[in-house]
Amino acid sequence: MSEIHHDHNEHDHQHDEAELAAKKAARPKIEKNQANHWLSIDQYMQDPEFQKTVETEFMSSPLREDEASNPWARREFLKLMGASMALSTASCIRRPVQKIVPYNKQPEEVTFGVPNFYTSTFFDGQEGLGVLIKTREGRPIKLESLETEPLTQGGTSIRAQAHVLSLYDLDRLTAPKKNLFNEKRTNKDTISVSWENADTAIVEALKKGGVYILTGNIVSPSTQAVVKDFSEGFKATHVAWEVLANEDVRKGQKASYGTDVLPFYRFDKSKMTVSIDADFLGTWIAPTVFTRQFSKTRKDFANMSRMVAFDSNYSLTGANADIRVRIKPSQQLKVAVAIAQELIVKQGKSSYAGNGEIKNWLNSFGNAAEGLHIEPALLKEIVKDLWAAQGESLIVAGGLKTQTETSAALQAVVNLLNSALGNDGKTVQHRRSITSSGSHSEMAALITAMKDKKVKTLIIHGINPAFALPAKSEFKDHLKNVETVVYIGDRMNETAMWANYVLPENHSMENWGDAEMVSGVYSIQQPAIKPMYDTQSMQITLMNWCFQAKVGPKRIQEFESYYDYLRNFWKTDIFPKVGKGGNFEKSWQELLQSGSVGEVADSDSARSFSVSSVTDLKKPAVSDGWELVLYPTSQLGDGAGSQANIGWIHELPDPITRAVWDNYASISMAAAKKLNVKQNSVIEITVGKDKMELPVLIQPGLQDDVIAIAIGYGRTHVGSVGNGIGKNVYELAQLAANGQIVFAGSKVDVKATGKKYELAQTQTHHSMEGRQIVVEATLKEYQTKKDHIIHKHPIWSVWSGHQYNGHKWGMAIDLNSCTGCSACVVACQSENNIPVVGKKYVMQGREMQWLRIDRYYTGNPEDAHAVFQPVMCQHCDNAPCETVCPVLATVHSSEGLNEMVYNRCVGTRYCSNNCPYKVRRFNWFNYAKKIAAPANMALNPDVGVRVRGVMEKCTFCVQRIKDGKNKAKLENRPLKDGEIKTACQTACPTDGIVFGDMNDPNSQVSKMFKNERSYALLEEWHAAPSVRYQAKIRNNGKDQIAASGAHEGGH
Amino acid sequence: MSINFKKLEVKRALKSAVSFCFLGTLVGLASLMIGCKFQPGWGYNKGHAPEQPIPYSHELHVGKLGMQCQYCHNQVERSKHSNIPTLQTCMNCHMQVKTDSPHIQKMREAFDAGNSIEWKRVHMLPDHVQFNHSAHVTKGVNCQTCHGEIEKMEVVSQHADLSMGWCINCHRQEENKAPLNCTTCHH
Repeated sequence: MSEIHHDHNEHDHQHDEAELAAKKAARPKIEKNQANHWLSIDQYMQDPEFQKTVETEFMSSPLREDEASNPWARREFLKLMGASMALSTASCIRRPVQKIVPYNKQPEEVTFGVPNFYTSTFFDGQEGLGVLIKTREGRPIKLESLETEPLTQGGTSIRAQAHVLSLYDLDRLTAPKKNLFNEKRTNKDTISVSWENADTAIVEALKKGGVYILTGNIVSPSTQAVVKDFSEGFKATHVAWEVLANEDVRKGQKASYGTDVLPFYRFDKSKMTVSIDADFLGTWIAPTVFTRQFSKTRKDFANMSRMVAFDSNYSLTGANADIRVRIKPSQQLKVAVAIAQELIVKQGKSSYAGNGEIKNWLNSFGNAAEGLHIEPALLKEIVKDLWAAQGESLIVAGGLKTQTETSAALQAVVNLLNSALGNDGKTVQHRRSITSSGSHSEMAALITAMKDKKVKTLIIHGINPAFALPAKSEFKDHLKNVETVVYIGDRMNETAMWANYVLPENHSMENWGDAEMVSGVYSIQQPAIKPMYDTQSMQITLMNWCFQAKVGPKRIQEFESYYDYLRNFWKTDIFPKVGKGGNFEKSWQELLQSGSVGEVADSDSARSFSVSSVTDLKKPAVSDGWELVLYPTSQLGDGAGSQANIGWIHELPDPITRAVWDNYASISMAAAKKLNVKQNSVIEITVGKDKMELPVLIQPGLQDDVIAIAIGYGRTHVGSVGNGIGKNVYELAQLAANGQIVFAGSKVDVKATGKKYELAQTQTHHSMEGRQIVVEATLKEYQTKKDHIIHKHPIWSVWSGHQYNGHKWGMAIDLNSCTGCSACVVACQSENNIPVVGKKYVMQGREMQWLRIDRYYTGNPEDAHAVFQPVMCQHCDNAPCETVCPVLATVHSSEGLNEMVYNRCVGTRYCSNNCPYKVRRFNWFNYAKKIAAPANMALNPDVGVRVRGVMEKCTFCVQRIKDGKNKAKLENRPLKDGEIKTACQTACPTDGIVFGDMNDPNSQVSKMFKNERSYALLEEWHAAPSVRYQAKIRNNGKDQIAASGAHEGGH
Repeated sequence: MSINFKKLEVKRALKSAVSFCFLGTLVGLASLMIGCKFQPGWGYNKGHAPEQPIPYSHELHVGKLGMQCQYCHNQVERSKHSNIPTLQTCMNCHMQVKTDSPHIQKMREAFDAGNSIEWKRVHMLPDHVQFNHSAHVTKGVNCQTCHGEIEKMEVVSQHADLSMGWCINCHRQEENKAPLNCTTCHH
């Protein structure tokens, strides 16, 4: 408080002070955030470096840096500017001549400027989603969600949204290639070969016998038929393998129930879900489907479900859990046993309570709950809730993080629990299960066969074992023993490099196909573009070989194209199963319209559980010291495919860590202190005989001896975008005695190296200071306090405000539904031609995504909970950005939109300076120039491509608003609510984003705005945002969201 | 003394030289501006009437024969683009009509070979303008309002300067009830 010196008498001075005090008291107060949300570790640790960066909004520009060293830079710049100005006034040339070349014959379905939508399926080796491919003038530009899809019911994933870019990938193989190796296979020459020559040579090799065909998980029933027919014809052995194969779950099901299936878990029927390291919302099996299912149970507060997650790394599932308990991989089995002990032994519930064998086996663990970071009272409550929700609860365990040496035991105990709780058949559906193949043991057998020279010809399709298997598996070594290796895939990747023939296959958008993700639900895959290069579908390649060699059943030889084979297969095999065996053409057309046939079943009967599957297991040893956890990220998945070469995937901030373009070793704060390292320090990790150096990322919510690293990075041959990013930690996977690959729980030695490696994270660049940004409440709190969980600020204004007589667009975002999956971010990038800037500029805060998902931590660093908040331009009625633009490049529309006019913008950046939400993105460079053909085919023609020097931000998808309004005008009718959906809204699998007309009292948006949980960001500023959020509710049984442990009030 | 005088002279000479150059540049710039920049419709290609590969005459087809605009430019009612008709559309009549004309024969050859005709674009808006034909057609705006009397043009020429100001002049009239938001055209 600066002293105000007055030349007054003393009593005047006192009077002024009193007046001032009164004025101060009347000012609106800035409320400190009650729940103590904090942003980054540095902020929490009051790091002085961080405090400095907080104050600088625009990091120093490279140009500025140059200037410091080279004072002539600015002069040169001005000189050039002067010259170009002079040149421009001297010319009066006409605009360049453009030609219009019409069609020769008008194709029926093409109307220029009007997109066509094709139903199709996106499958990435694990999850299959029904999608709508939006095409413009014959080229796909966007993947939309398909609301008639029975599994996801609308909603997409990160990889589905990014998939369109892989079609236009420059690094795709355009023609068949042949690799010529020297004897020792240490050198190779790649030459082109024609399809005819390649086919002839391969058929010769196939006829010799000893044929093995290695594929990934095939969910396409017709492709399975093709492979089966091919194998029959050439007497080949079919081996299926995926890194993320859920073999442990299937083996566990077989041991416990006798059926080798991957159950279709029904989270939508579960009132109490316990996940033991199964990241079902992020990466496990079918995350988008499970997200949709899970979100359904969270919306009705009278019957809200509860989810407990036991998490080794900080997964998306853990972030969305009501109760999250951190564990390490070796404790997974203990958790399951502790729950079983509590339920069966201590509380004496379920039909197994009387089973002596089970009880003895469980008791042999002693007190399993000891050593877990969970209070006995909490464990009791979890079990009580599980029992109360019998038949409506679900315990899951699986995924890469559970691939420990005790994975079999874990699955058996989880099956026991599900059976004890009566979940089998209800939330664990087995009759209509998820199509899953892929087996590490089958791969191990193949490698042995290669070693024994039993494999003369090996056909590999799609997967990438040379990258995804550690060197110790010896896949590459024994591949040299195979006479002819044929790789059918889309690029010359790490595995294709070792193949004799590399045959490019069509992209999924250039190919017919189908999918049966869950038995009984069949979806179609339609091509949306003619094959761009000299590629063929894998199916026709196999069919050709059978035809040329004249082997195999009739149907694989008789059809000229895979399309014909597919149609025939549906006619004979699929339509009859779903009761559409009548008029084939009619059924086929209906299929193409809706995208799928078949329904999800309701429930099955319970299977009988084999007690010996549990009691036969040996009790594992407990380990001490550092443990390794390798996990897949939701952006990359196994990282072995084409997604690793997509810029959007790498630029997407990891939902939890907010890091981009790298992988790293996540450790807890205490662990970092113990090792005496900070973030960005490089540590050396030794697992068995493997060593690797990785930078450190400090992650709250981890156990102190856990090192969590993401797989899928460290590609060497995926393409110009993805090569050399991060480190390949598949090498750190260990081989267990029984041939199983262990991805988690291995003992690790760690030491600091003293080196540094800077990681790029997007979130530490924004800071919101103790204000009501994310509102979180417990269910109990919400039910008692209702709308009093929101602090309502007194808002007043001297102005009457804008009048909106037509539409007034607004958006409601339900934080309770949002899981942080980030599909909306990539959807926005795809829809709005948002460029990719790369790691260097992300480090300077120049990421271009219009929509960001902020992740806030609550509580203490050991046990932090996380909340997600998507933030985009709030389209404020009293926009602080509009008033400061010197050229009126950003103005307010008559329908409530804050408009950004790119062609008027001169790049003052005052608007971004003034924006309190920091949602404006500036084109510091000509990022658009980097979009090289053919990737420019993916650009959306309805949205401008911005040049250097122009500000951009979320426009509420104004192009879609225009389209919707025009369509209604054309059809001479009023606009309906829900007709206009923004890109982020359609991508969301939980309906977390709702867009609509606030002036329509019956619109969903208006209803959500009136909701008791509704609030706006920085409402006290009275920027009057058109975006309102709904508070997150956590059903953790507590009375309020309290910061347990140290309560650091504000900063 | 003499040295000072010389210096003064040099100074004066320099001064007059500089002021002469300055004036010259001003005059030059001014003439350039008046000659080019301040011409009405400068840079907007008003009156642009390029020679087309086939001398298709709207005066004949539309003026004399009375064909409707939307017979050929049929997508204009539902698309933002007004499409140039495909060769099939031309052949609808010219399979039989005036088949002896060398121009028709040129088109016929292209049609049979599966090729097309490369017309030169007359009306071109810059990339940052998203103009939507169907919105205007639905509103009942006449083709001639913006494109002039096409039925009188043997060679299509750009009738209006199609500048933003010209568009706004119509949008501003209250009776047209046309939107004036920037994002109507710029997004």
